[in-house]
Order: sequence, then structure tokens, then C-alpha cells
Amino acid sequence: MTVFLPWFFGFLIIFLFTVAFLILKKRKVIFTLRSSLPKAPLTKLDLPLFKEEYASDLTVPSPVRPQPQKPEEELPGKYNIDRLVLMARDPYWLYTYWEISAAIQEEFKTNYGPFAWGQSQPVLRIYDVTGTNFEKKSLLEYTDIPISDQVDDWYIQVGQPDRSFCIEVGRKFQNGHFVTLLRSNVVSTPRASLSEQVDEEWMWIEDLYHTIRHQYGVSSPLIEEEIAGRMGIVPLGISSPGFYVSHT
Amino acid sequence: MPLGFLALVLHMHLPYVRHPENEHFLEERWFYEAVTETYLPLLQVFERLVNDNVPFRLTISLSPTLISMFTDPLLQQRYDNHLEKIIELADKEVGRTYNSPFHKTALMYQHRFRQARYLFNDVYQRQIIQGFKKYHDLGYLEIITCPATHGYLPLMMVQPETVRAQIATAVDVHRQYLGTLPPGIWLSECGYAPGIDDLLKEFKLRFFFTDTHGVLFASRRPRFGVFAPIYCPSGVAAFGREVESSKQVWSAREGYPGDFDYREFYRDIGFDLDYDYIKPYIHPDGIRINTGIKYYRITGTTNHKEPYVSEWAENKAAVHAGNFMFNRQLQAAHLNKLMERPPLIVAPYDAELFGHWWFEGPLWLEYLIRKIYFDQDTLELITPSDYLTRFPCNQVARPCASSWGNKGYHETWLNQTNDWIYRHLHFAAAQMVELANSHPEAYGLQRRALDQAGRELVLAQSSDWAFMMSTRTTVNYALSRTKSHLSNVLKLTAQIKENHIDEGWLSSLESKNNIFPRLNYSWYQSHYRPDFS
Repeated sequence: MTVFLPWFFGFLIIFLFTVAFLILKKRKVIFTLRSSLPKAPLTKLDLPLFKEEYASDLTVPSPVRPQPQKPEEELPGKYNIDRLVLMARDPYWLYTYWEISAAIQEEFKTNYGPFAWGQSQPVLRIYDVTGTNFEKKSLLEYTDIPISDQVDDWYIQVGQPDRSFCIEVGRKFQNGHFVTLLRSNVVSTPRASLSEQVDEEWMWIEDLYHTIRHQYGVSSPLIEEEIAGRMGIVPLGISSPGFYVSHT
Repeated sequence: MPLGFLALVLHMHLPYVRHPENEHFLEERWFYEAVTETYLPLLQVFERLVNDNVPFRLTISLSPTLISMFTDPLLQQRYDNHLEKIIELADKEVGRTYNSPFHKTALMYQHRFRQARYLFNDVYQRQIIQGFKKYHDLGYLEIITCPATHGYLPLMMVQPETVRAQIATAVDVHRQYLGTLPPGIWLSECGYAPGIDDLLKEFKLRFFFTDTHGVLFASRRPRFGVFAPIYCPSGVAAFGREVESSKQVWSAREGYPGDFDYREFYRDIGFDLDYDYIKPYIHPDGIRINTGIKYYRITGTTNHKEPYVSEWAENKAAVHAGNFMFNRQLQAAHLNKLMERPPLIVAPYDAELFGHWWFEGPLWLEYLIRKIYFDQDTLELITPSDYLTRFPCNQVARPCASSWGNKGYHETWLNQTNDWIYRHLHFAAAQMVELANSHPEAYGLQRRALDQAGRELVLAQSSDWAFMMSTRTTVNYALSRTKSHLSNVLKLTAQIKENHIDEGWLSSLESKNNIFPRLNYSWYQSHYRPDFS
């Protein structure tokens, strides 16, 4: 044992020397590189002022961010409430999201049996409620969209601008019986074209909180005079189109 | 009377990007860059016009988040530091580019940054808002507001109370800093849905803007198309954007900003120059960023770029201003024959387009205003309030739900990249409304917690986050802002319910997310109605 110890130390010393030498050498390389940088002023034009780069190489400045130090806040997956929210995205599409609490599932099982949940199909029922309300539900037209138990939101292509919709999420049994679990708010899809309604209504606002409204359905100058008289304003010479409507 | 009216509208907004926790927060630079490149240059334009006795009328919407950043002492100090740094770099650049084709441009930047520092510190005493107020008080600007944090209102209408709170906050901030009630509002992203106008009316807001089809596709066919406003049944006026004038300025391809003589946005020395040289002026972590110093002109459609020549660019700005005016004159003269009143051309733009993106934009605006005043009498500049005073009788129709986003409706803020936020936003909003209703007279710690929950909610509602997710730019930032503000609302509301408020944590939130110190949780109460008496 004692024979090997000096050998061991000897090797160790040689090893350390080698390492130190290598590190120093590397440093030296770096030093020489630095010192070989041109000392001439940068303004000298024989040096390119800019290297030719291309805009596409640079792209939009969205640099890599340093990693956030704190773990990001995560939001709850569920809030344990019952809700079915409907939003109109554009003239043709609706978006809905929902959450069905365990309480509703339990109630369903109580009413329809312990296996009823598994034996029924989750369905979105879309009602066109334009110009009506839910009191005459049985008369309303609807479309069913079968969904799965794994989803909790859906884009619905209704394809109908300027209509009002309400939806229900429910379970459909094989015999076609539908049980409503939740009903949404009512939304209207926006128009996608010029209105067909070409009759005009005009409003005169002198002061927002002193408004007088008048309808120009009837083509009679007398009405105009009457209105003008009531308002104490002579319409002639005032370039408000309302006073010309019935002549055109 | 002129043959037509032109309403130029500049919408000024940036999301609230104040990060006391980190001196070098990348997103805070959005604010600094916009101040240097857009807001201060626009104030200089107004100053020159006023000095030369050129009368003009412009509409500017100042978002409450932007006003809050303008008036925040920490951001003011940091902006000053930012200016010092960029001036130091500009000074170096003047030396480095000596005898090169870039030297003149380097001198231009040096001058501009020094001017910015002078304006910011000496002229406005760091209160940029005072600059806008000045030209508002002098009668040149009609300043309107926009929802508190630029909330996208159509998708918030599930809880109308939160839409009302956005507006109440906006009106309060406007009144605090401009001394008057805002006469009208810029709806974030021109996002409108029926019912929003009823809430605007509660706050005596007389008008808002929609995209072209918002007015064109109204419930009754508008007699004058978008060339006159319509009244919603509530009596609030809707002004529709005119397409052609927008495209000429907006479009990067067909529009003026893409002209080859204008400055190239994507060649910034923050990316172009040697790392060791530029290191002190980019992010301390070595992330290359825009410095604002850009030496090239657009040059052409290829990647080859030539040095910027400011005279050429200035000349083009004048030519383009003339062209814009000429086209509007033709339009006005033509429409005038078809209408019984002079047509109104509404031309709204994001203000940050001018100066930041389109470097010569403020100059173009200045030339345009001068030309309109000196060179012709077909067109007259007008603001919505002026117009409604002159033409108080307008057609009644319900505008069409719409936005100026991609495809014209709500898809930009509601698609597969961001739809998940709404279940959280709506839940948080419902919690807020419920708590506001159940605490009619909160005081002390509870009151502070309720107010802060309101602040966190409006911050989470910024349309900017959904937009960034949609356009896939700075997504991580948008995600982190959405999540952190929402979880703050959830935690606060839970603590209020349990009557166990963590005061230390609440205080830290109050100082970190310090926006709208006057926000009052009672604005979320279902029966809340403003009282301006």
C-alpha cells in the first residue's frame, strides 16, 4: 500500500499540471484573438459598416424570453357550477361551453336509473328562437348534434345570419327521448348583408336627453310642417335629410 | 359649406405593461417605443400646426390603460432611463457612421431622441397627458375614451355589468385627467353588439365607431351608407369606417407605408450590429431587440436594402398626403351629388401605425392637415361631436354586430387559440358581480379586496391578450397575463367570501397591479347607474 502512495501522488501532480497547462493555453488563445481585433477606428470605411443580412433572417423581433422564475398560475379545470353559455361568433357560427356538475348527473340517475347516464347519448339541441320565446318550445324547430362526454365546448355551424338561437345540452335515449340538463342564453347571429328593410326612420337629437322621435312612413308634407312646428325649428335650409325623405 | 367632411380618428392604445418586478421587462419597451416614435412626434405635429396658425380638428381616443401608463411615476422614470440609454447609443452611432451613407440618418436619430427628452422632461414635465389635454383644451382635438382595459365588449355581454364597469372606469379616468366627460367612445377593435349602446347612453356617451358593415348592414338599410352616421334606437350615434381611405393608409402592400423610399421597419441595429458593440443597448440577458435606430429604406420587394434618404421620404410623405386628399376630394364631390347633405368620410387608424410602424406617418398627417387648410375648400376636417351638432337629425337603425378584426366579426377574439379564456373570464366576472351585489357597503380591508378584484378582472379582460394568442405573437406573455390576473380574481373573491383576506398579499397586488386607483367595486353592482349631477 505504502509503495503505491508516492506513485499516486506523482500521477496526481502530473495530471494537475497538464490540466492547468491546457486551461492556460485555451485562455491564451482567447487573449490573442481579442488582441487581434482591429484597433483601427470603426468609422474607417474599408470595414463593412453592416454585414449584409436579410430582413427575412431577422423577422419580427420576438426574442426568446428568459424562463419565468415562478411556475405559472394554472386555472381550475372546473368550477363545480352548472352553466351553458352561448356566444355568436359571426353570421354563421356559434360557440358554446358548458359545465355540468355532479349534482345534475346524480339527479339524472335518480330519475332515470343508475345506468341511464351511460346508456344515453350527450346531445346539443339547437333551437331557432327568432321572433319567439321558449314558452312555445314544442313548436320550435331544432337540430340535434351528438357530442361526446369528453368535450365541454363546441363550435356550431348554424349558417344563418340575423337569426336568434338558444341551445340545450341534454341526454338522448335510444328511443329518442331527450332529457334537458341545461339551457343556454339566447344569442343572435349578426347580419351578413344589407338589410331588406328600406323604410326609414329618423331621429332628431338636439340634446341626447331631450329626444323627439318621428316616423316618416307617410308621404305628407303636412306632417313635416306639423313636426317642425312642434319643434319650433324651420326645417328648410337645414341640411338634415330627414326633412327630405318623404319627397324622394 | 364644403362638399364633404373628413373625420380623421387616431386610436391610441397599449395594454398595461408595467412590471415593477423587473427593470428590463421586454414588453414594457412597447410603451417606450410608442412614446418616442408615435405620441411625442404627434404632439410635435400639433405644436407646429398651432404655431403656424393652421386650424384643424382631429379625433383621438386615449385608452385608459395608456393614460395610466402616461401618468405612472415608475414608468416615467424608466422611460427617462430608456431615453438616456438610447441617446448614448445615438451619440456613438454618429461617430461610428461618420463619412458613411448612414451618417445623416444617425444625426437625425440623435436629434429626435434629444428632442424627445426635451419634450418629455422640460416641456411636459414628464406628463405626456398634459400635451394631449393642451390641444384638447385649445379646441384642436376631440379626445374620446375607450373601454378601461380595451375589453372586447361583445364577448363580455354575458355579464353586462362588467361591460358597464369597463365604461364607468374609462369615463372616470377620462374625467380625472382631461377634466371633462368624454363625448364619445372608441369601442375596442370596433367591437359592437346590440345592447352595448344602451350602456353607453347611461354614461352620456353620444357616439361610437363601427367597421363599415356595422353601419352598412344595420337593421334598416342606411340611406347614406357609411357617409353619415346612424342613431341606434337608444339615440347613440354610430359612425361607420370608410373602406377606401383606410386601405390607402393601412395596407402594407397597396398602401402608402410600403413605398420604397420609406424607412424599413425590420432593419434595426439591435439585430444588425456586432453583438459586443450593441450589447449594452439590448436586453441584459443578451436578447437582441429593436433599438429604434434603423438605417435602411424599404428599397424594393427583395431583401436587398439601400440606405435611407430622409429627403426622399419626406418628399414622398408630401406626395402621399396630396394623393390622399385628392382622392377624398373626388369622393366627396361625387357623393355630394347623390346625397342631400355633404358626405362624411370617417377614417380611423391605430395611432401606433403612425411613427412606430410607418415612420413617416406623423409627417404625412401634418402635410395632409396643412394641405386641407391651405390648398382647397372641397373638404373640411370635422369631429363626430361637431358633425352631430351640425346634423342632429339622423336615420335610426340598429347597427350590425361587428368588429374591424379579421373577417369582420368576433373570430379573432374567439377561435381555437383563445376560446378557453371565456369560461374563466365569465366565471370570474360572475363572481365579481355576485360579490359586489352582496356587499352593498363594504369598507376597510374588504373594500380594498373588492376594488382590487375589480382591477384584476379588468386587466384580465384586455382584448390584447386574446389577440396575441390569435396572432401567435408573444403568446406566452398573453397567457401569463391572462392566467395571473384571473387567478388573482379567483383568490381574492374566495378570500372575501371566506372573510379571510391576506392583507400582505393584497398590498403586494395593489402595488404591482396599481392601475385605476379610483376603481370602485360598486360599479359592478347590477343596479349601479352613473350619476353625473
